Amino acid sequence: MSEKKKGLKRLIEFMQDRMPMHKFNFETLVLKKEVPLHRMSWAYYLGGLTLFFFLIQVVTGIFLLFYYQPTVSDAHASIEYISKYVHNGLFIRNLHTWASSCLIFCLMAHALTAFAMKAFAPPRELIWMGGAIMLVLGFAFGFTGYLLPWHQIAVNATKVALQSLDESGHYLPGVLSGAPHYIKEIIQGGPDVGQATLSRFFALHVVILPLLCFGVLGMHLLSVQLHGMSQGVDDLPKKSEKFFPFFILKDLIVWGVAFLGLFILAVCIPFESFYAFPFFQAYNALGATPEGIKPEWYFYFAYYPLEIFPFWLVMLGMTVMGVLLFITPWVFKKTSRRVLTILALIMTAYLVGMTFFGQAIYEIVKGVKG
Amino acid sequence: MNPFLTLVFLIFFCSTTAMAHPEYLQYFKKESGRAINCAMCHVNPEGPEGVNPGQIGSLNAQEKKMLALARLAKPGENIKNPILNDFGNELLNTIGHDKLVELEKDPGAIPGLLSKTSDLDHDGIPDYQELLDGTDPLNPNDGIPWKLFIHNFIKNWFQIMMITLATIFGVYGLYYTILWFLIRTKEEFK
Repeated sequence: MSEKKKGLKRLIEFMQDRMPMHKFNFETLVLKKEVPLHRMSWAYYLGGLTLFFFLIQVVTGIFLLFYYQPTVSDAHASIEYISKYVHNGLFIRNLHTWASSCLIFCLMAHALTAFAMKAFAPPRELIWMGGAIMLVLGFAFGFTGYLLPWHQIAVNATKVALQSLDESGHYLPGVLSGAPHYIKEIIQGGPDVGQATLSRFFALHVVILPLLCFGVLGMHLLSVQLHGMSQGVDDLPKKSEKFFPFFILKDLIVWGVAFLGLFILAVCIPFESFYAFPFFQAYNALGATPEGIKPEWYFYFAYYPLEIFPFWLVMLGMTVMGVLLFITPWVFKKTSRRVLTILALIMTAYLVGMTFFGQAIYEIVKGVKG
Repeated sequence: MNPFLTLVFLIFFCSTTAMAHPEYLQYFKKESGRAINCAMCHVNPEGPEGVNPGQIGSLNAQEKKMLALARLAKPGENIKNPILNDFGNELLNTIGHDKLVELEKDPGAIPGLLSKTSDLDHDGIPDYQELLDGTDPLNPNDGIPWKLFIHNFIKNWFQIMMITLATIFGVYGLYYTILWFLIRTKEEFK
């Protein structure tokens, strides 16, 4: 057999192991599927919870689409209209905003626990890859959605982010140095953040990213169902429970509690109340930029290091982490779950630290008062 | 020209109080720790100077007359200054123009002079408290989050109770539907 045929055969075998479609039957997926019971069993609910918040985003996003106007002249006014005059419009907006934060929180928690539980071990590499793609898509949803209300913080934060992308070109060698500027121009669509940018972000947020997400999510869920739940701990779990109906029933209760929590948050705390009110005034290109423009909280892990450390150092760190995210199944193939848990805890500490204390750290390091 | 209007325009053009009041902004920003801007009291977030809507340069003759009258406002009057928003006018009509200008040296005294019950945006946080908190007194979605939470929770207790019951019954119903499905499945596969 030629080398080419051998390679093709290996690829087919690899894919057959990763997507065992012969298990795609009622007996395997429903009757025989088991969920291991151990100290990390709670983490099995995070994937379902992420899916729940994604579905909330889809439904509330469709409602918002009925009234939102993706033009620089009308975007902010349409958001104001939704909040003030559309029946339950403010509630739907709040649901959408709170659910976006909950979605990204669950995505990150799901990724960290899946890492600690070595849920990427063969033959689950593609499940991990799908999850990593969805994590990136989640951030992309957050980034593109942030611009749509076209208020001060939205436009200025987008400008800062695109400027950072542009600047990263200075640290790349040769022809690569022009790539970030080229990417920025494609995203921006014009010399500055304007109508072309808003149109692009809108298209990405409501069509392209959801389509990508549905595709990757479908593959991710199908693979999980075919392979079953990962072992989760180093020692083989002694106990397990039936996926159907016991795990499903518990999952249902978790979804119910999450829905209730989300409802109360959306009714009682407008998400905007966490920020200063000038940030939410209509963007005025000729007006003064409000002080303290920041990205959403889930970008603080990158934003504060950029404020504190040299740009090239942070970009290098983020690039390494980004690449590592996608090659995790091969890099940590032989690492024990104990070590992976320690690494996940360090990562969690970093994310929590930067999210809650990033400003304080920045003020201490730079010797400024925010 | 009408002598009264001449006097009014003279007052308007000679007045030095057409300037914005950065002292107030700086004081309440420092006290609250929140970024605030002129939109707290003014129609235009950029302040009163300029030719954009809500700024002095954009006013017509009638509005300029109102502006001049507002500069003579005494406490308890009901005057509408066209460059101020509802909260700015509340300050003006409660404190009076001269006293308000005088308080540039002591902005911390302003909240104490305002009504303890007035709440223009009906968000449960009195206007004087919103001024201290650095939040928008005219936006019901802006306020200190836990204060809004308490107010909105009490205000919407019925809806919250109903959705709680709906969720409990919904989950209960689905729970037993799945169990019924399980029993039927087992019967089918016996």
